[in-house]
Amino acid sequence: MKPMITFSNIDKWYGEYRALTTINAEISKGEVVVVCGPSGSGKSTLIRTVNRLEAIQGGQILFEGHDIHGTDANVNRLRSRIGFVFQSFNLFPHLSVLDNVVLSPTKVKGIKGSAAKKQAMELLDRVGMAHKAGAYPGQLSGGQQQRVAIARALAMEPPVMLFDEPTSALDPEMVGEVLSVMRGLAKEGMTMMCVTHEMNFAREVADTIWFMDAGQILEKATPEVFFSEPSHPRAQRFISDLRSH
Amino acid sequence: MFDVFTILRGNWELLLIGQYPSGPMGGLVNTLMLSALALVIAFPLSILLAMARISPFRALRYPAFVWVYVLRGIPLLLVIFWTYFLVPVLIGHNISAFTTMLCTLVIYQSAYLSEIVRGGIQALPGGQYEAARALGMGYWRAMSYVILPQALYNALPSLISQFVSIIKETTLGYIINLQELTFSANQVNNQLLTKPFQVYFILAISYFCICYSLTRLAGAVEHRIERKRKGDNGSASAAKAIPELVSTDLPR
Repeated sequence: MKPMITFSNIDKWYGEYRALTTINAEISKGEVVVVCGPSGSGKSTLIRTVNRLEAIQGGQILFEGHDIHGTDANVNRLRSRIGFVFQSFNLFPHLSVLDNVVLSPTKVKGIKGSAAKKQAMELLDRVGMAHKAGAYPGQLSGGQQQRVAIARALAMEPPVMLFDEPTSALDPEMVGEVLSVMRGLAKEGMTMMCVTHEMNFAREVADTIWFMDAGQILEKATPEVFFSEPSHPRAQRFISDLRSH
Repeated sequence: MFDVFTILRGNWELLLIGQYPSGPMGGLVNTLMLSALALVIAFPLSILLAMARISPFRALRYPAFVWVYVLRGIPLLLVIFWTYFLVPVLIGHNISAFTTMLCTLVIYQSAYLSEIVRGGIQALPGGQYEAARALGMGYWRAMSYVILPQALYNALPSLISQFVSIIKETTLGYIINLQELTFSANQVNNQLLTKPFQVYFILAISYFCICYSLTRLAGAVEHRIERKRKGDNGSASAAKAIPELVSTDLPR
């Protein structure tokens, strides 16, 4: 089967600093990939190249056969098919929860207001936020905001969802509610790429774990293999550090 | 004090509408028309100018930069003279004092307003623009639905004080014989000859009332929006953005 996202020989530079080094990887339809690794290893940079929030200096990323970084790529169209959830939520504070979710379907896809509202309420219900539809982001807790952000991304009905450290900005007691929404998505067969430090989530939900350090993917393995017998020495050290805490 | 009412009773028409209908429209109505028109044209222009100032394209950024810095570096009176003497030479026929002053105010105020708008845009967390783009919105959609509504709201207090200064700057039209409120008041003063304090008191009170009510109106609007968002507008949490998310040099 053709992979949904293909990274071939991705290189990314910040001036003199090489942030990503010859990344080669694939994500198939329905696969849940968790990217983990120490801070500064390039995980967030990598996930942000997928919808072109970061430019790349070499290589090619294919999404459903389209070259995302190609000069003739229809970036807006491709992005509308890639859900993206940020670490800092980035809800639009001047719009109500419902309007946050409805904005893109109505303005980008041109869906009618009433239909978009109906869909938005279903999505909000799914993330357990329907009761806050009329609230403004400033009135919500971090966990609630992130759940709304997930609903907002889902409203475009993307075939793939990217999560860039979705729980890192949350207080510990709110991490669970966001992870359970993500778990639900994974169960329904959503294709997902998640950058996260939540190793229990990775162990439980991931089909594949990519371990990154210094801008490279050092290991790709199933959670069983990765957590019990990682093959790369750097990954072995990472796992043993996890255990010692 | 009694003089003030006598003067008003005798000259309210001149102060309100100038010599209209037997002559050109003038007085307070002209002042308000000029201010409103200048605002209506200068404000959208200033938004475009602000967008050009922070555009990734040099061809847009540099001219906008020059526009803003040149105009902020010269007095308004000089801009009036330049428009007054230069524009007729350029287009080959005379233009009215009203048009001259309108052009001047639009040119001059667009520079100031654009800096306020630019500040409002750049004060937003970079994640707002990224989130809009990540949802598939293009530059213009992201600007009109996400960035500008927030930026302009946050910049509202500064914008209002700039709007108020447009009204006050219309008085400078006096020197090119623009028949606005100050011009009318001066006519009244020339007729009466002996009551300059009373006449210019009326003039000062009139400007104050207009400017003060505009400020209050803006305050009420601001308050209403704020109440709708119930105090916290949420940008505090968005501002917790992590440094790596703040980069705004997105490929378009």
